[in-house]
Amino acid sequence: MLKSLRDFFTALFGSGTGPVGSRSEPIFAITTAILTLETSFELTPTGRAWLAFRGIESGGFQEMRREIHDLLVIGARQTATKVETATDKYGYVWVVLTDPDFEDLVTTMHLASSTLEEHGFGKALLAAVFEFKHPERERVYLIYNFKRGKFYPFVPRSGHTRDNAFELRLKGVMQEELPFEQELERWYPLWDIPA
Amino acid sequence: MRQKWYGGDLGLQVRMFITMFLLAAVYLAFIAALFYAGADSFTVMIFAAVLLGVQYFFSDKLVLAASGAREVSPAQAPELHAMIDRLVQQADLPKPKVAVINSRVPNAFATGRSPSAAAVAVTTGLLETLDRREVEAVLAHELTHIKNRDMAVITIASFFATVAQFIMRIGFWGGFGMGNRRRNGGSIAVAYLASLLVWVISFFLIRALSRYREFAADRGAALLTGSPASLSSALVKISGTMQRIPDRDLREVEGLNAFFIIPAGVGRSIVELFSTHPSLEKRLAYLERLQREMERAGL
Repeated sequence: MLKSLRDFFTALFGSGTGPVGSRSEPIFAITTAILTLETSFELTPTGRAWLAFRGIESGGFQEMRREIHDLLVIGARQTATKVETATDKYGYVWVVLTDPDFEDLVTTMHLASSTLEEHGFGKALLAAVFEFKHPERERVYLIYNFKRGKFYPFVPRSGHTRDNAFELRLKGVMQEELPFEQELERWYPLWDIPA
Repeated sequence: MRQKWYGGDLGLQVRMFITMFLLAAVYLAFIAALFYAGADSFTVMIFAAVLLGVQYFFSDKLVLAASGAREVSPAQAPELHAMIDRLVQQADLPKPKVAVINSRVPNAFATGRSPSAAAVAVTTGLLETLDRREVEAVLAHELTHIKNRDMAVITIASFFATVAQFIMRIGFWGGFGMGNRRRNGGSIAVAYLASLLVWVISFFLIRALSRYREFAADRGAALLTGSPASLSSALVKISGTMQRIPDRDLREVEGLNAFFIIPAGVGRSIVELFSTHPSLEKRLAYLERLQREMERAGL
C-alpha cells in the first residue's frame, strides 16, 4: 500500500529517472533450492551461470570492470571457478562463470554482483542467470532480477518460443523456496545468452 | 478408459449449492410476491417459459450461427478431431459437433442443451496462438462445461430473472393492462418492486454461479489432461497482452522498469462481482493448487 503510494508520487512528479537500485543477498536462496529442483523436476545445474550488467561508457566503469575481472579471477582461484567476459549487441557485459560446484558458483556470482554494488554500480546490474539441464528437455534457466530481488524461470524452445506450461509448473513449486516473481508480465526472457 | 473424477472440490461444490439455494429462495419469494400482487404476472411467466424453451432447444444452432462457426469434418481438421476424440473417450462423453470460427481473436466455447446435442467451437486465432497441449487443455475445459450441462443450468437459473426483467419493463411502462380494473396501484407497485429486487439479487447470484462453474470446468480440464499447467499457460496467452509472459528481451525493456504504473488492484474486485468469469489470477492460483494436489496424490 505504502509502496504504491510512493510509486504514484514517483510517477506524478516524474522523479522516476534512471535505473532502480539492486539487491544481491536473496540470490543465495538458490543454493538450497536445487534440491527441490532435482527431486520435483529432474533438473541439475550445468555448472554455468552468467552475470549481466549494463556497460557504462566512463573511465571509472572501465577501471571497475577490470578490477572485477581481476578480483573474480583471484577469488575464483580459491573456488576454481572459470571466469570469462563478453559483450553483446545491446551493450551489456556478461561475466560467464563455470564451476561444477554449485555453491561455489553462487558464491562467485554474489562476489561479482556485490563488488559492482560496492563501487556504486549496483544500478547497472541486470540479471544473474543459472543454467540447468533436464534428461529430456532443452536447457532450463532461472533468471534472478537484481532490481526486483526475485527469481523467475525461462525455458526457451527452438523458434524463439518459450515453454510457458513448464515455466508455470516451476513457479508453482519453486515459489515456496525462492523469492519468486509473481507478476508474469515481468518474466522477461534473455535470448542469445553468450555461450 | 474411463476417467475417474478425483476427490471433488468440496468447497467449490458447497459454494455452488449455496448460490443455487439462495437463487431458489429468492425466486420462491418472488412468486409469492407476484401472487400477492395479482395473477396477471402468470401470463408473463408463461411467455418467458416459452421463450426460454425456444432458446434452450435451439441454443446450439443459434450460437453457432451467430458466431459464424462452420462445422468441420475430420478430413478438414484432422488434428482437432483427433484431440477431441481422445478427450471424449476419457471423459465418457458422446462426441460433439466440431466447428471452427474464422477470427484472429483466440477464443473457444461449448454450447448445447445436453451432452448428446452439443457443439464445441474454436477460433482460428486460438489454434494459431496456442500449442497442441494448450489447445487440448482449452478443449477439455469446454467439454467439461458440456459434461456439467452448464448451459442448461445457467438457462434455468436465469429463468426467473428473465421473468423479473419482463415484469420490470412492463411495470415501468405503467401497464399490466388486461383490463383488470379492480387491482389498485399498490399491488402493481409491489410486483414491480419485487421484480426489481429479484432481478438485482439474481444478477449477482447468477454471475457468482457462473464463476463457480468456470472453476469447475478448469478443474475438469486439469484432470482430463493431467496437466493444470497447460491450461494455465493457455489462459495466460488468451487473456491478452497485459498479463502475458513476455517475449521481449529484458535488455530491451530494462529502462522502462523505472516507470511504475499503478496496478489496477482496487478496481479488480469490484469488476469481478459483475463478471461471469473469475479473474485470471484466481484461475491461475486455483490451477496451481490443483497441480500440488495432483503431485501429492501421485497422479
